Amino acid sequence: MPRITLRGIEKRYGRSVAASVRNLDLDIGDGEFLCVLGPSGCGKTTTLRMIAGLEHPTAGEIQVDGKIFDSVAKGVYMPPEKRGMGFVFQSYALWPHLTVQDNVEFGLALRNVDRKTRRAASDAVMEKLGIAKYRDRYPSDLSGGQQQRVALARMLVVQPSVILMDEPLSNLDAKLRLEMRAELKRIHLESKATVIFVTHDQWEAMTLASMIAVMNEGTLQQLDTPDNIYNRPRNRFVAGFVGSPPMNFVELTSDEGTALSASLRQYLDSVGLGACRGSVGIRPESISVAPIAGAVPATAYAGQAIVTGIMPTGGNWIIELIVADEKLFATVNAPPRIQMGEETSFAVDRADLHLFDGNGDRLPDDGAVSPQDEQK
Amino acid sequence: MHSATHDKESAQQGRRKRVPIFSKYRLKVALREPTAAIGILAAILFSYLIVAPIVSLLGDAFRVQFADSMRIGQAAGSLTSYNFARVFKSIVAPDILWYPLIHTLSVALGAMAIALVAGGLMAWLISRTDILGRKWFATALIVPYMLPSWTIALAWSSIFLNRTVGGQPGLLESLGFEPPDWLAYGQFPITIVLALHYTPFVILLFGNALRSFDAQLEDSARMLGARPATVARRIIIPLMRPSLLSAVTLIFAKCLGDFGVAYILGAPVKYDVLATSLFRGVTARQGGEAAVLAGVIILIGTISVLIDARLVREARRFITIGSKGSMNRTQRLGSWRLPMTALAAAMFTVSVAIPLLVLFLSTVMRTPGQFTLENFTLAYWIGHDLPTTALRTGILVTPDFWQAAWNSLWIVGIAAVCAGVLGVLVGYVVVRTPLKSIGAYLRYITFLPYLVPGIAFAAACLSIFAVPHGPIPALYGTAAILILALMADQMPFASRAGISAMMQLGKDPEEAAQVAGAGWWKRLVKVVIPIQKGPLAAGILLPFISGLKGLSLVIMLATPGTDLLTTYAIRLVDFGYSQAANAVVLMLSAIAFFGTLFLQKATKTSLASGLGG
Repeated sequence: MPRITLRGIEKRYGRSVAASVRNLDLDIGDGEFLCVLGPSGCGKTTTLRMIAGLEHPTAGEIQVDGKIFDSVAKGVYMPPEKRGMGFVFQSYALWPHLTVQDNVEFGLALRNVDRKTRRAASDAVMEKLGIAKYRDRYPSDLSGGQQQRVALARMLVVQPSVILMDEPLSNLDAKLRLEMRAELKRIHLESKATVIFVTHDQWEAMTLASMIAVMNEGTLQQLDTPDNIYNRPRNRFVAGFVGSPPMNFVELTSDEGTALSASLRQYLDSVGLGACRGSVGIRPESISVAPIAGAVPATAYAGQAIVTGIMPTGGNWIIELIVADEKLFATVNAPPRIQMGEETSFAVDRADLHLFDGNGDRLPDDGAVSPQDEQK
Repeated sequence: MHSATHDKESAQQGRRKRVPIFSKYRLKVALREPTAAIGILAAILFSYLIVAPIVSLLGDAFRVQFADSMRIGQAAGSLTSYNFARVFKSIVAPDILWYPLIHTLSVALGAMAIALVAGGLMAWLISRTDILGRKWFATALIVPYMLPSWTIALAWSSIFLNRTVGGQPGLLESLGFEPPDWLAYGQFPITIVLALHYTPFVILLFGNALRSFDAQLEDSARMLGARPATVARRIIIPLMRPSLLSAVTLIFAKCLGDFGVAYILGAPVKYDVLATSLFRGVTARQGGEAAVLAGVIILIGTISVLIDARLVREARRFITIGSKGSMNRTQRLGSWRLPMTALAAAMFTVSVAIPLLVLFLSTVMRTPGQFTLENFTLAYWIGHDLPTTALRTGILVTPDFWQAAWNSLWIVGIAAVCAGVLGVLVGYVVVRTPLKSIGAYLRYITFLPYLVPGIAFAAACLSIFAVPHGPIPALYGTAAILILALMADQMPFASRAGISAMMQLGKDPEEAAQVAGAGWWKRLVKVVIPIQKGPLAAGILLPFISGLKGLSLVIMLATPGTDLLTTYAIRLVDFGYSQAANAVVLMLSAIAFFGTLFLQKATKTSLASGLGG
């Protein structure tokens, strides 16, 4: 099964505008389920379409299993119809003039598969995806979820070894989306294909991916496992983009600073992390609100806060705290025993502090500053 | 933010680094996509079909024509200002240009004014009041526009024809009245007939604007204490002004190029408009004069269409889309309900019922107006041994008629199919091509004939295709020149339909086929064309109907051998066989009417959206 390699990929649409994808290197291992995650306009869909051959890079090289598919320098180009990849579009792109069955069999017909084999293959796939009973209907007669399954069947029936998906679940309602996620995971396991999945939904990425590539403004921010993306974000963009409610940041840079940043600086000095002069990130769930006395380790950062908002979200409660004039959000998973306007204590474990330097890059957990950073 | 400075640096670097326009890679990509090649071919084709004739025509205006070379002592083809002097300043200039220009302007302005008042009132009655049979009137009052414009002109002359010209006497004449010339021919009837034909423009465009008008705008004025009259004066009319003005500007542009009406009602008293003056110039082989006249028509036509485009843009600014306020609110007319219904009925009677009835009666009565049984006859349809000098058989048993009908069918048919297919192809190229400049060029060039009234475009076609050019032989007298001209003339509509259809389709279905392994041709044949078959059918049928009933474009290009139904009918008028001509026009009207209805039903489009064509 294939490895996909992108080297120095750049894509710009006009000659004067900034590139929508720049200097992108990406290695996608065999059988990987890679989610490309980022806000809209970050270049993730463009990247996917370049891998499919639907867009053409203005610089760089794309290889699949060592075979060059695109190379601007060498003048090599493989058209999409010869790449043999599977692609699921955000709009599903079912052909409105063909029935479900004909939609599914289209790719097989192009490969000159005889009618009987075609029928058997399409029946099997449709059966598996639970759309066999709609085989004679036209796409316009199907619901969004059913259309989605037809699009999947159409892609799977030719057994592609590379599957590309462009936000395929974004038009479904929440329940269907959950079902389809499970379905996609199953498909990935069974087909053993390499999957590249574009999404702006972090939970989708977290639940599906074996690897996540976070992109912003055309550049790759971090390529890592979901666990590392969440727990060890490489920079402030990744830290802020992944997680909901988002990570709290406290700036340490300015010399004046707020009371909170002064107190945090003092704390960092006391635990031997004094070299950090950028910012500190704290995930809302890392903040314990009104902790039970004695349960807080001596090394934790602790203080007093005023509760200015309590927002239940079902199983969790989001609590808005004002700590020394700065706003922090905390989440707790048990009903809070405090009221709006009350003062409360809070604590954050030392290990739960994410330290960033002045450029927003993550500092090692021991707080050591790289020589390069010191120069700046 | 993370490495913001770093990002900025690389962005600047990226900007400095120039993307090479030509590289082996880009070439390979382009070669896989034949849209660029098709685009270039289409651009060449349309340059030849649309731009070249107009350029050639304008060139003729500055050159000595063969017919004039002896008179002015210059070799044919050399540069001269003689043509301009002749048209603008010479002793014949008033007859060639100035009177026709004044006549054109006065009938066009008159028709605009009448259509504005009548159409405005009808549009309001249909879209905002509770007159009886509102829905029925909404279609019935549009009928004049579906018929050939000179249908009403023929009906008019069937009624008011007097002794000034020969042929079958008019209805009033045989009833013992002698209609004066001003009523029978010239400015008055031309103005009225054009107004009746183009009133549906105002009804459609103004009615649409009224219907989509956001009633909340009205309500908020009322809530502030404005009385209905104030609301109308301060809110509704200012907001409606662009669409009203747009409708009348379009009417002006159409009147400018209308040949049939002025020819039928003006020629007997030598009342010339620009279109008929141009026609005389061409038939008299006055190539230079015709070129200058056509140039004048193109100039006026272009200016009016550009004004209209600006007005439409302005009207669009006022449109509030999808607001729930745009409901169909009706005004109760109370005791005015019946009189107003009667007014709409009167409008229908004058513009549709009477003309068609008169035309029909004229073809089944020996002497007009004499309602006795023995006076009725089917001889003009299927009879033999009629008491006329030539054409002694009924129209349906005349071989020439069937020849013309067959010509209409295949000549207009081929042109319509070509226009429809090219329209989809242009749409495909414009939407898909990586060469943006080719796409833009195609869009403008296919729109160009819209600026040029049909009769002037015909003159342009004659100026280039009537003489051999390189491998292309002289086309005058052949069906080819008709096909080329009809096709080019329909391109504005066909390409606009193609572009909007392709825009709506989007890229996805085609890309899905591409990823599934379909090459360019397979995608076109298996995906794009099957999905677009509806728009394609409409893009063929609409040009077909409008080509079938159109006269101005083909009147100078058809010869007796290549007569179409329209030109055949005019030839019959020329020879005084008015019953036969009326019969032909009735049949054309029936085809045009039912064809348009069918098209509206089949494609669920409204006529208003195809008004430009």
